[in-house]
Amino acid sequence: MDSSSPNSPDNLPISPAPSLSAAPETPAAEATESLSSFAPRTDLSHLSRHAEAIRQELGKVIVGQQALAELLLVALLADGHVLLEGVPGVAKTLTAKLLARTLSVPFSRLQFTPDLMPSDVLGTSVFRPQRGEFEFRPGPIFASVVLIDEINRAPAKTQSALFEVMEERQITQDGTRYPMPAPFVVLATQNPIEQEGTYRLPEAQLDRFLFKLSVGYPSVEEEVAILQGHHAGFGGAPLDAVQAVVSAEDLRQLREQVQRQHVEPKLLEYIARLVGQTRAHKGLYLGASPRASLALLNGAKALAALRGRDFVTPEDIQYLCPMVLRHRIQLTPEREMEGGTPDDVVKQILQQIEVPR
Amino acid sequence: MLLLTRPAAAAVAPDSTTQATIRVLPADNNPALRLRQPDAERLRELRGQRDFRYVEVKSELSAWDMLWLRFWRWLAELLATPSGKFIWQYGIYAFLVVALVFVVLKLMQVDLTRAFGRAPRRAALSYDAETEDLHALDLDVLLTQAEEARNYRLAVRLGYLRVLRQLSDKGLIKWQPDKTNHDYLYELPTGPLPESFRELTRQFEYVWYGEQDDLTADDYERARTTRQAFERRLSSTSQAA
Repeated sequence: MDSSSPNSPDNLPISPAPSLSAAPETPAAEATESLSSFAPRTDLSHLSRHAEAIRQELGKVIVGQQALAELLLVALLADGHVLLEGVPGVAKTLTAKLLARTLSVPFSRLQFTPDLMPSDVLGTSVFRPQRGEFEFRPGPIFASVVLIDEINRAPAKTQSALFEVMEERQITQDGTRYPMPAPFVVLATQNPIEQEGTYRLPEAQLDRFLFKLSVGYPSVEEEVAILQGHHAGFGGAPLDAVQAVVSAEDLRQLREQVQRQHVEPKLLEYIARLVGQTRAHKGLYLGASPRASLALLNGAKALAALRGRDFVTPEDIQYLCPMVLRHRIQLTPEREMEGGTPDDVVKQILQQIEVPR
Repeated sequence: MLLLTRPAAAAVAPDSTTQATIRVLPADNNPALRLRQPDAERLRELRGQRDFRYVEVKSELSAWDMLWLRFWRWLAELLATPSGKFIWQYGIYAFLVVALVFVVLKLMQVDLTRAFGRAPRRAALSYDAETEDLHALDLDVLLTQAEEARNYRLAVRLGYLRVLRQLSDKGLIKWQPDKTNHDYLYELPTGPLPESFRELTRQFEYVWYGEQDDLTADDYERARTTRQAFERRLSSTSQAA
């Protein structure tokens, strides 16, 4: 990951919280004693093992992007969809495909185009003359991990078809409800909105994404490592090197464990205040919804678990704030003309709300 | 051309005919003209109608309008003087220059409010009304009360807040309500303090955010020992400094 890139998760305004579970480099005598007395009450070794296995599989192909990999894992554990945004060629699609490959669940890929119809995504009813009735043929959305490439190339009509399935994990066709398999995760990629032939995603759809992650350029060292790997012949079929290490049942158990994380009541209030502040901010035309609060809570619980804690801290919430809020808020035209960004406003809001302790 | 010449020819033709035949109009045999008078009743009725009252209404200026009128008159007289003409001529240019500078600064996103002074301090931000003032609390008393009530979770929290206040009083950290414990950890100068503070923070977070309500007296004693060791180290560090 390029640390100098302004959009990279590594370079977000809030620095990632260091893991407290890690042993200090030069532990004092009293510190060592107290470490054993305040151990986590929940055994998170199962979760850590699986998370590490996924990280290792991704690391076989992806160079750098540790922050991106961690956030994708958070989304996976928090049962949320992810929107990956970045310029072409920064391995958005590859990362999403590799993550899907680490899970032994059905995977499907959709390339969104301007002429794509809702039935091309959801499925359609076809008439069976032999039986004299209509039969529903499921579309490519019926998979556990759905990669929607270039999601902003389809018009609003097709985007609207995703509303129900992304929120309720089901589709309704001809009055019949078709539930999605569990788990169901949408990983979507998009190029920046200014580019040719793209549409802005509807607000209702953006709100259904847990995170919007900006994928930046790799650093020079990372790019050299990419070139070395490719030159050595590894770039031919990178997907073959990655194996499935987590099953659907494993993921279900891990998600249950994440749901049991401790969250101090004052932290719930902290989340509500942060999100509530987006609705009162002068520079914002549209604030975040209560769904954003839920996303922040679930994300923080998953992040804390990944960092070896069975409780959430304000750092977890602050770290995830830009990713959760940036696509859910809209700047006023004046703010936009001044060159402001959603991340600037989120940073400002974080400075306005007291950290509970 | 044809269209233009044809009417010309037609215009000439009647002249020739009028010269040839002069027709005399017949004598007017009608009786003398009778002057008709409008009905007096009808005239009175019409005069009574509002639509036919052609009375010129004189506009009455209000005091405000009079004031403005006087102002504009005064301005016109002022600008009519030689010095006024000079101001009028170059004032417009000055206004245009100021407007241009303003537009350029806006486009360059220069904050004009900070152009002639220091940037506002972060403390000036409007924090929530329920913000707990660390320096206003009598933490020693509260800590003793919590220990006596065997509310060990609260005691760990109050002990940690006391440490933060000590660090702030010694100028080792800059207290801001929006900062996290790890922000303070990064602010500490290099030496033995950051590592001890990291452990203290870890304990506080496990107990407070981890909702360790069932903390035993032994557990608390260990936490207190860690805190007291840090406080001793802090006092010795500041004495050495």
